[in-house]
Amino acid sequence: MIRLREMKKITSYLLTAFAFVLLFSCIEEQDFNQYDDLSITPTFEASILYLEVPERTINLVSGLNTYSQNFNFDAFAEDFFSERVLEGVLTYEVANTTSKPLQIEIQFLDEAGTVLDTERFQLDPEPTATLQREIAYGPAGRSIDIIRNTSSITLTATNLGDNTSTSSQSNPMVTLKSSGKFMVRIK
Amino acid sequence: MMPKRLLFVTIFWMGYFAYAQNKQLLYDFTEIPQALILNPGMETDFNWYAGIPVLSGISVQAGSNGISVNDLFANDGLDFNDKVRDRAINGMTIRDEMSGTYQLEILNGGFRGRDPNVFYSFGLYNEGYFINYWPKDYAFLAFEGNADKLNERFDLSHLKTRGELLNVFHFGINKKMSNSLVLGARGKIYSSIIDINSTKNKGYFVTNEGQNNILASTLDADLQLRTSGINAIERAIDDENVPGTIIKRGLFGGNLGLGIDLGFTYYLNPQTVLTGSLLDLGLIYHSNEIENFSLKGNATIEGIEIILPDALLDPDQDYWESLVDEIEASIPFEETTESYLMFRPTKLYASLRYNFGEPMEGSADCNCDYLSPGGGSNVTKYRNSIGGQLYVINRPRGPQSAITAFYQRRFGNFMALKTTYTADKFTLTNIGLGVNFQAGPVNLYLMADNLLAYRNIAASNYTSFQFGLNIISWERK
Repeated sequence: MIRLREMKKITSYLLTAFAFVLLFSCIEEQDFNQYDDLSITPTFEASILYLEVPERTINLVSGLNTYSQNFNFDAFAEDFFSERVLEGVLTYEVANTTSKPLQIEIQFLDEAGTVLDTERFQLDPEPTATLQREIAYGPAGRSIDIIRNTSSITLTATNLGDNTSTSSQSNPMVTLKSSGKFMVRIK
Repeated sequence: MMPKRLLFVTIFWMGYFAYAQNKQLLYDFTEIPQALILNPGMETDFNWYAGIPVLSGISVQAGSNGISVNDLFANDGLDFNDKVRDRAINGMTIRDEMSGTYQLEILNGGFRGRDPNVFYSFGLYNEGYFINYWPKDYAFLAFEGNADKLNERFDLSHLKTRGELLNVFHFGINKKMSNSLVLGARGKIYSSIIDINSTKNKGYFVTNEGQNNILASTLDADLQLRTSGINAIERAIDDENVPGTIIKRGLFGGNLGLGIDLGFTYYLNPQTVLTGSLLDLGLIYHSNEIENFSLKGNATIEGIEIILPDALLDPDQDYWESLVDEIEASIPFEETTESYLMFRPTKLYASLRYNFGEPMEGSADCNCDYLSPGGGSNVTKYRNSIGGQLYVINRPRGPQSAITAFYQRRFGNFMALKTTYTADKFTLTNIGLGVNFQAGPVNLYLMADNLLAYRNIAASNYTSFQFGLNIISWERK
């Protein structure tokens, strides 16, 4: 009988302990509404456009000193990007190792063909240093809507010199490099 | 917004559901029939038992080694974005897991054969688990992007995830081979309801200085996601027949597999016992309702390239579309319905137990003890047991192990207590307590893990809870 009473006592202690653990366990105050404050705004970068015109090509086209090309560019128009982009920087690097002064112009156009933005580069004949230019879009620069609405790019290269001279540089050409670095809001 | 928030919170809560699957409290708890599931070679003295359907064994375990709910959601006044950045994005490694598992016994029973040395057990349980290793580089890309990370490779192998919902039909044989050795084996038929896995991913994404342009972006990908059963569930959602589909797929209507459990108990001397078991040595062949996705290839792009005079040849060329087409051709995204094999996560248990104190007869009605087995089934039990256990489970990122020290105390045949201290990658302060009550034929057990964590469950790194209800008989026919 004593043993049975002891057992009952132990059982009641144990059940009390379990009940205590399960019912009176603690949890610090949690605030799941903090999720609303979560801001995910990564910045991505990649090259955009590369143009290369060798001097021999310029010299081949006598009488026509302008090359102009409009091409579709939907990278900025993709919904994922256009609806989320916050700000960004376009970086251009232009180099001219030809013997001619040149002008390169880039125009950003919307779907209707309206010019939204123009960037122009005047290049002296060789020897010239690489021209680097950064154009900011967003709160600290030009309107980010230019980027959001760009659907095509028109690239115009104009030879402001002759079609006969040759450069002293090896493999002379004019090149335009460009890259974009944009912050997008994922949440 | 609400579903997204729920998903986010759920992912972090999921770290609280049993990724470890270690049942150190139940292992070798010979008074409880469900311990046979963990070691088919366990010492048994029951004549028969029957689990109360659906209530005979319910286990939910919980844990998180990388981050806890409290780390992010505590109302501590800290900026939430700083907490996410410091504690998740920069604070977690690819070995940190978010995962969950549960096991629910639907049927479980056992009976002693004509040969009293042989005990048979059988049943059906439902199991679900999910494991997702922290995809560190993917998370970094999503939160920070690739800007100013020249030459830094983002490793695509960081994506490792696996989940499954299945029913397991099992039948086990347990035989006392001699006075000092018990062997057991359990055959299993797996009926997979849903499977999803993406565990063998390779590749990288890197931004380098370009050859022509300023930057070159390279994607070298060998990614694969394999699923089975998701299609069927999606259709069932449309048809509003989810329960029926799950039941059908769980009763051999899904994908089937075979497996085996092996175990033993060996007396080194009358008071020292060595046990071991190897569980879920098996595989499932997934052949119906398959939907696999892959992304495989390599491409380096430097933006749109207009190189004269070549560009003059086709002035109407759509450079952007050509670039997109080139990428899609180099890294095709494909969908297939190929069958696949998945191995079960195999588990290993081992223990060394020393029994001491006053020996007492087991519940079986016979004049027998360890040295004189009599009817063959009775087991002499000592008041106290102390020992150590080892647990290892095979995971997508390699084996995980845990070591446990335990003390067990028996109070007649009425009650037994087991307390454990367990150390593993998740916590070094895991103290658990299990108790088994035997009131006549009614058997009830309760087990709770990592009791210290109950001070603040949200900050817990591991928690588990198990209970079950059985009817046990030791009577001879």
